[in-house]
Amino acid sequence: MEVSVARSKATGTRRASEARRRISDATVWTVLKWTIAICVAIVAIFPLWWMFNVVFSEPGVPVSINPRLYPTSISAGLRNIAIIFTETGYLRAYYISVVYTLLTIGGILLVSSMAAFEFALFDFPGKKIMFAIVMLSLMVPKAVTLVPTYLLTVQLGWLNTMQGLVVPGLASAFGLFMLVQFMKSLPTEMIEAARLDGANHFQIYLHVVLPLSRNALVTLAILTFMHTWGNFSWPLIVAPNPTMYTVGQVVGLFNAPYSHTTVDIAMTANLLAAVPPLIFFLIFQRQIVEGIASSGSKG
Amino acid sequence: MSARVTKTTPHYLMLLPFMLLFAVFFLYPIVSGLIYSFFDWAGAQPTTFVALENYTKVLNSRNFNKAASNLLLYVSITVPLGLTIAFCLALLVDSFSGFWAKFFRSAFFMPVVMPLFLAATIWRWMYAPNFGLLNTILGWFGFESVQFLNNVNTMLYCLIAVDVWVSAGFNMVIILAGLKNVPKHYYEAARLDGANKLQQIFYVTIPSIRPVLFFVVTYSLISALQVFDVPWLLTGSSFAEYGGRANTLLFPVMDIMGRGFGAVKFGQAAAYGFMLTALIIAVTAVMFALRKKVGEV
Repeated sequence: MEVSVARSKATGTRRASEARRRISDATVWTVLKWTIAICVAIVAIFPLWWMFNVVFSEPGVPVSINPRLYPTSISAGLRNIAIIFTETGYLRAYYISVVYTLLTIGGILLVSSMAAFEFALFDFPGKKIMFAIVMLSLMVPKAVTLVPTYLLTVQLGWLNTMQGLVVPGLASAFGLFMLVQFMKSLPTEMIEAARLDGANHFQIYLHVVLPLSRNALVTLAILTFMHTWGNFSWPLIVAPNPTMYTVGQVVGLFNAPYSHTTVDIAMTANLLAAVPPLIFFLIFQRQIVEGIASSGSKG
Repeated sequence: MSARVTKTTPHYLMLLPFMLLFAVFFLYPIVSGLIYSFFDWAGAQPTTFVALENYTKVLNSRNFNKAASNLLLYVSITVPLGLTIAFCLALLVDSFSGFWAKFFRSAFFMPVVMPLFLAATIWRWMYAPNFGLLNTILGWFGFESVQFLNNVNTMLYCLIAVDVWVSAGFNMVIILAGLKNVPKHYYEAARLDGANKLQQIFYVTIPSIRPVLFFVVTYSLISALQVFDVPWLLTGSSFAEYGGRANTLLFPVMDIMGRGFGAVKFGQAAAYGFMLTALIIAVTAVMFALRKKVGEV
């Protein structure tokens, strides 16, 4: 009797201490987890926040590049932006980049959705081999087509033109692949029904498949936006004339080692280049993240 | 016959824009590039057929060895490091729920949204000697300022830091999607068998998301082999000056750009491009073979 009481007491205290240990383990883990997460978030965001603060800081202080934890002068930042837009070619570069990006998005969506419609939903002679060749091209790095595509663009007389920037990038194998993957999951009954209602091939594409593919098209548009806005090497070689500079090239000039701009002006140029992708991210966060996630987990 | 034509022509009509663009701006450049790579360029046009001379010239140049060894070192550090960090970040975000999971995911992902050229230029200022952010912080602790981008011992790590900063969030999102697909009862079974957290990661999580990890590694390998924007902008950002001190940050694509558009040796640039392509295809093939082998076990 006494023995069993003692034993139960012993197991009781052991259980209690185990429970306590478990709790303290849990708190240690929680504290650690939060600390790491906050530190990583600071490392991820601080360079952007710092850039913002350098732009919006009291002017005339040579140490304006030093750690700035918060903006000190909104008017100085606005003045920097005004200087950039009025006294440099930045506004023109902005215009070139916006047009380049919009035309690329429109072109890729149109051209690859038409092709994806055929590849995903119909059978016809030569389909397999064509699709295979296009998919193989995904493996080929940009570096190998860079020189010959440039030479072709020169032969076409498209150097320093908008079509030289846009057209060579329109046959996007990635865009086609993404849309084909999506359209394969569309119900074929809808197409049959539309055909019975008397819709022709093109009408089915325009009025049935495109509206159903809206989400995939939006995702592709956003990914194309990010890619085109950030494209640096193609504009660098195909648009070497300052009147055709994109934002990327101008940003490179502002930040070049021997450029005579001050830190706050260079940072303003950087910030202005970051604004469109940041706005896009804040609006389309879900599509961006899911688009990237699905491109990986399906592969 | 006419019935068949009307039945199949709409298909080809719809395909025409894409296939035409693809043929003109991908297939033709590939084929013409292969031809260019066997010719010498003295002016605006290829002139003399030189067989494999462009290839041997590239292979024997001093820059080639430098770029190749830089690339090897860069890839062997940045890919495993990037994968490890992205995996840890994904586990970290996954351990939160609701608002905070979304918040940290977005925060970690933020750098991915930045164009590469911007990441490079921001970090260039952070690395700046004397007054740059990092040197200011070092100064607080009494360290002397470091010429981060002009010191052969630190340059590569500066590049890798930018690279990890910019790509960790991208890989994290893909791994997170993989984590969501691991059935919860796997973890319960492992816990009942007495597996601790670390064992669960190694024996449940990693095997379950192996295809996703393979994708991340393959994708990072392919993009690391083609590294261009960031080292180009970190080291000079012009055709006259790139590669940095002692060519420590010279990489093949930079060399291709330099040869083609700086020195106007298109034949060599094309030959270089094909050699890089062969390397990338070989690496990708090895990754797929490995994936098949490991996947079957």
